[in-house]
Amino acid sequence: MKDTVITASRKRRELIWLAGCIVAAMGVNIYAIASYGAPWSEFFTSIGYVAVFGIVLYVATAIVRYVVYTLLRFTKKRKSISTQNHL
Amino acid sequence: MSQNDFIDRRGFIKKMGGALGLGAMMAAYPWLGALAGSDSDRKCRLAIIGCGSRGCYHISFLKDNPSADIRVLCDTYEPALDEASAMVPSATRVSDYRQALDRTDIDAVLIASPPTTHCRIALDAFDAGKDVFCEKCIGFTIDECLQIYRKHRETGRIFFTGQQRLFDPRYIKAMEMIHQGTFGKINAIKTYWNRNGDWRRYVPDPSLERQLNWRLYADTSRGLMTELACHQLQIGTWALGKLPEKVMGHGAITYWKDGREVFDNISCIYVFDDGVKMTFDSVISNKFYGLEEQIMGSLGTVEPEKGKYFFEEVPPAPAFLRLINDWEHRAFDNMPFAGTSWAPEVAASYDGHYILGEAPKGDGTSELLAAFVNASIEHRQPANIAEEGYYASVLCLLGDQAIREERTVYFPEEYKIDYHPDYAQKIQS
Repeated sequence: MKDTVITASRKRRELIWLAGCIVAAMGVNIYAIASYGAPWSEFFTSIGYVAVFGIVLYVATAIVRYVVYTLLRFTKKRKSISTQNHL
Repeated sequence: MSQNDFIDRRGFIKKMGGALGLGAMMAAYPWLGALAGSDSDRKCRLAIIGCGSRGCYHISFLKDNPSADIRVLCDTYEPALDEASAMVPSATRVSDYRQALDRTDIDAVLIASPPTTHCRIALDAFDAGKDVFCEKCIGFTIDECLQIYRKHRETGRIFFTGQQRLFDPRYIKAMEMIHQGTFGKINAIKTYWNRNGDWRRYVPDPSLERQLNWRLYADTSRGLMTELACHQLQIGTWALGKLPEKVMGHGAITYWKDGREVFDNISCIYVFDDGVKMTFDSVISNKFYGLEEQIMGSLGTVEPEKGKYFFEEVPPAPAFLRLINDWEHRAFDNMPFAGTSWAPEVAASYDGHYILGEAPKGDGTSELLAAFVNASIEHRQPANIAEEGYYASVLCLLGDQAIREERTVYFPEEYKIDYHPDYAQKIQS
């Protein structure tokens, strides 16, 4: 089994994604409060639900990003093999 | 352990979480003052008359009360005395209650014998200068109930009845909320007590059938009305602060057709002056719903047996959850055509709130007995308690009369006593 190295830049990138997902979840909360005419105190009282939703969003985007990254890598590999064969 | 340790009055009130504080609670429900405990070193010396299941239940609390001293156990059935003696080995055993009343070292009697014997024993006990705790129903007839109440007033002796809900914290708290108007105007009270069992006790010899299974025969029992309804009817009048004007009902033996003479399936409607109704139903061939008092107001409902209350208007879920829920439905609902244009009015389904903040424990019996012991030691009759007990017994006997005679029975004026509680006014003032 290979060692996995998580670089500082990778950590920074993931934290930014997580923060972005939580901010998006907060945005959804604000939209919900405005749409349903709920009291603005729910911005704070629903913080638990917002945090969970933010984490779920982060995991979902992480899965999508991983799939996209894997597909792109696979496509790049195939292109480089076919270029080498032409040469 | 002192009496004050045994029943911690402030802890008891704190348990109820009364926002009003002690003063308002005592004014509205003055019998709670009997929980104050006694500074006296005296003990209440007791004779237990009737050592069946109920008598032994009371003994189980009294034997642990440091201010109670059970001196005499009385029963006509030896095995019952054996069971009681095992709990209080030091007590003298007698088979005639007069032997207990003749003793000068007895201050009070607790009557838990069949209801046909209550009146005779209670009157004799009052005449003998004893304080009396009498299990419900206090008399076998309404006239007997009045005799007992009048004798209590004449002699000035302490008189308690077996209405333990008057001391049950969840009922006191529920009544406080009701009288404060938390649930709006109370428009209906629905009570029921269902069991699934034949109500029979083991009889070692057929000759003992009527003695041991007295609850099943018309000459010794009023059946489900006096054995079960008494407690719940008292809750109704406590909540509304008044008596019903009339009662109607029906009874039958629909399941336990085993030679019994009392009904196993009864239903009563008590009607108040403003049309509000209090119902009592009881079957002993199905226990699914158990027992409950459903006190229904315009703003909410109280179910004290479960220890819960519910509001009519339930606050909506947070907007965030509602939005997620809507998105989920839009994405995953697979019914493209319109749904029902109306929704049937089924019972609201939400968990409600605990009256005391937690599931109820105990039933007030411990507190009731402690209050009686205190009252006897202090020679101080708490206000309202005899009257509440009197009316609870009268109401269940009226219901039984309505069932047996199959007619509407009006509350007879000659059995009304001078008692006008105004709980709501006292709580709100």
